[in-house]
Amino acid sequence: MLFQDVVFWLLTVVAVGSALGVVLIRDLFRAALLLVAVFVAVGGYFVLLNAEFLAVVQVLIYAGAISVLIIFAVMLTRDVQQGNPPNRLQIPAVALAALLLAALVTVAVDTQWSFLPEGERQSVELVQTAAVSDISPETLEQAGAAGESAAQGVGLADLLIGRFVLPFEAVSVLLLAALIGALALVRPRPAPQDARASGAESASESAGAGAAGSEAD
Amino acid sequence: MPLTANLDLLTPEFALAGLAFLVFAADLVLPEGRKHWLGWLSVAGLLALIAVSVIMLWGVEETLYNGLLAVDDFSLWFKVLFMVIGVFIILSSMDFVSERLEHQGEFYGIVLFSVLGMNVMAQSRELLTAYIALELLSFSLYVLAAYARDNAKSNESGLKYIIIGAFSSAILLYGVSMVYGVLGVTKFEAIAAGLAAIPDTGAVSPSLWVGVALILVGLGFKVAAVPFHMWAPDVYEGAPYPITAYLSIGSKAAAFALVLRLAAEGFVPVGDRWEQWQLILAVLAAVTMLVGNLVALAQRNLKRLMAYSSIGHSGFILAGVAALSLDSNLPSNGVMLYLVGYSATNFVVFGGLISFFNMTGKEMMSDLAGLGGTQPFLAASIAIGMFSLAGLPIFAGFAIKFYLFTAVADEGFLWLAGLAVFASLVSLYYYLQVVRQMYIEPAEGEPAYGHGYGYEHVDAEHGEQGAGHNESGEGDEPAPARRYGAAQFETHPALGRRPSVTVIAVLGAGLLAVFWIGVYPSPLLDTIEAASKAILS
Repeated sequence: MLFQDVVFWLLTVVAVGSALGVVLIRDLFRAALLLVAVFVAVGGYFVLLNAEFLAVVQVLIYAGAISVLIIFAVMLTRDVQQGNPPNRLQIPAVALAALLLAALVTVAVDTQWSFLPEGERQSVELVQTAAVSDISPETLEQAGAAGESAAQGVGLADLLIGRFVLPFEAVSVLLLAALIGALALVRPRPAPQDARASGAESASESAGAGAAGSEAD
Repeated sequence: MPLTANLDLLTPEFALAGLAFLVFAADLVLPEGRKHWLGWLSVAGLLALIAVSVIMLWGVEETLYNGLLAVDDFSLWFKVLFMVIGVFIILSSMDFVSERLEHQGEFYGIVLFSVLGMNVMAQSRELLTAYIALELLSFSLYVLAAYARDNAKSNESGLKYIIIGAFSSAILLYGVSMVYGVLGVTKFEAIAAGLAAIPDTGAVSPSLWVGVALILVGLGFKVAAVPFHMWAPDVYEGAPYPITAYLSIGSKAAAFALVLRLAAEGFVPVGDRWEQWQLILAVLAAVTMLVGNLVALAQRNLKRLMAYSSIGHSGFILAGVAALSLDSNLPSNGVMLYLVGYSATNFVVFGGLISFFNMTGKEMMSDLAGLGGTQPFLAASIAIGMFSLAGLPIFAGFAIKFYLFTAVADEGFLWLAGLAVFASLVSLYYYLQVVRQMYIEPAEGEPAYGHGYGYEHVDAEHGEQGAGHNESGEGDEPAPARRYGAAQFETHPALGRRPSVTVIAVLGAGLLAVFWIGVYPSPLLDTIEAASKAILS
């Protein structure tokens, strides 16, 4: 117990300290690096809560992919080293954020989070804890005893390609749409020898007010 | 029950995704210059899918995947509405896309993906499925808003939209997770059961309140309800014109389809607690309709004007959502009727405005001066659309507002209905400003002319003109012989061209719908009644 407490407070110091650093440090690049520290610390919390799967996902996706994306964006953009200058909305923004924080902390402390129906809660616990390696005949049996709904939710993977297969498939369409859209927005325009394309280009150049001059190519 | 049971009920969705792939594939083989065929392919596919959906799913009432999706009259009704919206948007964007945008195949394909997202949204009865469908729609719209990539404003629009969109999605998800944390469920009906299980005397746990509030905020961003509307004017202004139309029609209708099902299946059955939430929604609706319509008074850019106008209309629709109850189908009927009438009216307005923009590249209200003389058909369409948006009789706007406001008043929100009538009255001012620009203001560089016109006169004369067009279905407007507006020809020679057949067909169909809903909405109301029954029972 003592060991867990020590780890918890260590993680908390790292998480809160780095989070403050992300907001307070002017240098965007360093802020992005501190953000990685926050993500890793949150991953540590998940380990403490016996949710190893979430911890791994947290580190892989947030500390790995998303931070790299942010750092790339910072590196590829000129003139963002200093972040936003303070503006006149700073004080209201701080007040609003403080209010929201107070509300969320109150909510987290006050709520009885065990309002779940018994079977559902077991299934949630099983999803959280048993997703990686813990699935054994005994746990399955317990789940079966906890009711049909729990038996259906043995693991995250089962849920994803079982009950939730439709949203799972929809995500793939979503990613495809994002991919195609991103390509359409950055792909070089069709070759200039095409008469119609060049006509369209000159039309778009003469288009409405505020149109930026099209890049020469 | 095996998960693959009833899978055939999703045929329209599978076929729609297939249609998008077909468009992408055809894009690879079609030579440049034939790309507009892709638009026709999409339109034909969507029309076929509408027919298939209606034939296959009429009267079906089933659920799939353990109640994750509902295939019922409500889904079918909205699916047909969304696909009709898709057809109209593609038709009215074809000229624009082939003249001003690149990568046409991707444009039409992404529009089809967004229609798919909307269809799934209307069917989902579970928060996560609804969220992912919403994201499919939103991602498509982010891309489309930035599609004019040489235009700095369009880039800004896309960027603002994606940042605000991601922010609001995060809020929505946070709310979903809190509701899940308290109730342990995400299905709408299970939420209702969970809420009902809380004893009346016991306090609702604060996290449930916060969770529901965050969901409301997240959806408020999507429908651009005040105070979550700040993004709308900038995004609408920068987006390519047909996408502005799509944002104000399609994404709004889809978000309200979700709101309607969530409220009707998840919250209305709870009884007492729904009444508390009703009040919050009513206040939100009141603020939205007032701010939207009052700020619209100051707008000079047509796209921004339509943005604030659409915010105001969101307020009216929210008033209908606030009035939902188990005792009567009227409010939910009213919301659906409002959505279809609002969509038809906006087809007409945006059809005219897009065509005007194609000819001139202008989007300020003052640029419309003299349009009544140079392009009588376009001007008449826009004018009829504006009258309908303001809610004048004969047009759809009157019937839908009358029905919805009556329903709201019937449910005990008399003050809200009164406020809505007042807000519509305010809106009359800025809608008529547009009409005044087209018919009374002299075009630039021209002596003042036409100040003898009264509004009634304009209304009568050009209303008839538009109606005449509908009936005959032909588009040969006599070449403008009047001196009025002649200066516009000199600055924009394209205004001398007759609008293309597609534009005339789109406008004609839109005008027909506007008059039909305005005069004889009862066949439409029968289908709406069936849809309401599917969610409120």
